[in-house]
Amino acid sequence: MFATTGHTETATTNYKAVLPFYGYAALAFLAACILLLFSAADISGHYFLPHNLAIIHTMALGWGTMVILGASHQLIPVLIEGKLYSHRLAYISFVLAATGIPLLTYGFYVFDMGRPAQWGGIGIIAAIIAYGVNLAMSMVKSKHENVHAFFVFTAAIWLLATAIVGLLLVYNFTYPLLQQSSLAYLSLHAHIGIVGWFLLLITGIGSRLIPMFLISKYNDPKKLWWIYGLINGGLLAFVFIFLYTESRLLLLIPLLALASAIFLFGIFCYRSYRQRIRKKVDEQMKVSLLSAGMMFLPMAFLVIIIALLPVSGIENTRLVIAYGFIIFFGWITAIILGMTFKTLPFIVWNKVYHRLAGKGKTPNPKELFSNIIFKWMAVAYISGFVLFSAGILLNFTWLLQTGAALLLVTAFLYNWNVIKLLMHKPVLL
Amino acid sequence: MSVITNNKLKCTIALAALQQVEDPEIGLNIVDLGLVYRLDFDEPGMKIICTMTLTTQFCPMGESITNAVKQNLQVSFPDYEPLIQLTFDPPWDHTLISEAGQEFLNQL
Repeated sequence: MFATTGHTETATTNYKAVLPFYGYAALAFLAACILLLFSAADISGHYFLPHNLAIIHTMALGWGTMVILGASHQLIPVLIEGKLYSHRLAYISFVLAATGIPLLTYGFYVFDMGRPAQWGGIGIIAAIIAYGVNLAMSMVKSKHENVHAFFVFTAAIWLLATAIVGLLLVYNFTYPLLQQSSLAYLSLHAHIGIVGWFLLLITGIGSRLIPMFLISKYNDPKKLWWIYGLINGGLLAFVFIFLYTESRLLLLIPLLALASAIFLFGIFCYRSYRQRIRKKVDEQMKVSLLSAGMMFLPMAFLVIIIALLPVSGIENTRLVIAYGFIIFFGWITAIILGMTFKTLPFIVWNKVYHRLAGKGKTPNPKELFSNIIFKWMAVAYISGFVLFSAGILLNFTWLLQTGAALLLVTAFLYNWNVIKLLMHKPVLL
Repeated sequence: MSVITNNKLKCTIALAALQQVEDPEIGLNIVDLGLVYRLDFDEPGMKIICTMTLTTQFCPMGESITNAVKQNLQVSFPDYEPLIQLTFDPPWDHTLISEAGQEFLNQL
């Protein structure tokens, strides 16, 4: 009657391949917030300034990408219904990225596009290749096909494309490889990364985790395939329009495709929420759901930026900075702040208690961190985000500095809880 | 879904023991959650074979849950060797949650 798997063990990823990514990302978030506080004046200038580039790359790579790589190594077995192919490749990926990211950001900070930035970029590309090979081999071995695996794998390809374009832009400062200056291609590099890597991956993993954590009855793979097609189709259209046409108004076409994808994902999240079995939604899930709502904000900014182009002829830099800030400190940060405390406690709990399970009453995973610190972190984060965004739009330095200080408090509280988790010792109640 | 067994009396004792095993994320015991499908008592071999599932295949908490199942069965039946058979056919879904489990989740 029951087809058994023939084994009693489950195949989860070893915590040693995952925890370094989380620890590194926490420190990178702290570093980015310190840089933000001390570079608040630069935010009022152009986005293509050394300190701004250093902050954005610390956030995109050190914070967003590292935590997502860590979480995805843990979640690959759940997403593809198979084992992680190689733990060694996961370690290699970590070491290469952990070395490459500070080299690259240091290069931006001092605006030296020579050796540090070039070697940093090469290290990051090698890390992505190690991750991509690991993912591809895991999928081949698993033989199960599902929509989430396609999201993750395609996102890894876009991440590689982003890094390659980025490295070309770095080399373009020293050797004229491209027809125009690196600034002209910045939008291409940024959007392949934001849409192809972050949007595709977050919707792919989110569409698996949100119903799972809500214990929702809702499931709609067809809708997820539509989202997958709209994001990839929209991004390919953007690349084509960017490279082969002069008309910036045509960019509204990929924008429409992406807005439709985000709208469908919003419906997916809402229906998962409405059809949940567990009625109470914890703070971590609330912050994660907030980030799903935040996806609409950058879209609105993008529509305004594109719509203003024919009027002014050039981009409104303040709106562009606000757009980038909302993406990295808003949408991406919100989902990481929430999902860290839904995934990391389980990884630590498994590490500490899996051999003690059944030998006595153990704390629940959510008891391994402080919910009070989490709540204060959420308050500091939301107020810091709102104040800093207002500071960008209104060009008020005191708002920028107050917002940056609150975001630093957020990073400090986040690190406090992460360290509390990582240092947890076994306790039997 | 009620648990299939070849020994109703021992199954009642085993299920009471397994009600001490919680899914750490959900906070509900694995019996009310509907993870236990079958309990067979192999008297000549002195084995208890627990056929069960997890809420998701390759669940990160899977090993901890199966360890706890073995441990709890061992305490209640010290002379028997507990064995776990994992199955994902049929896969777990919310319809397997007992009424008591549904009530628990509504209150949370």
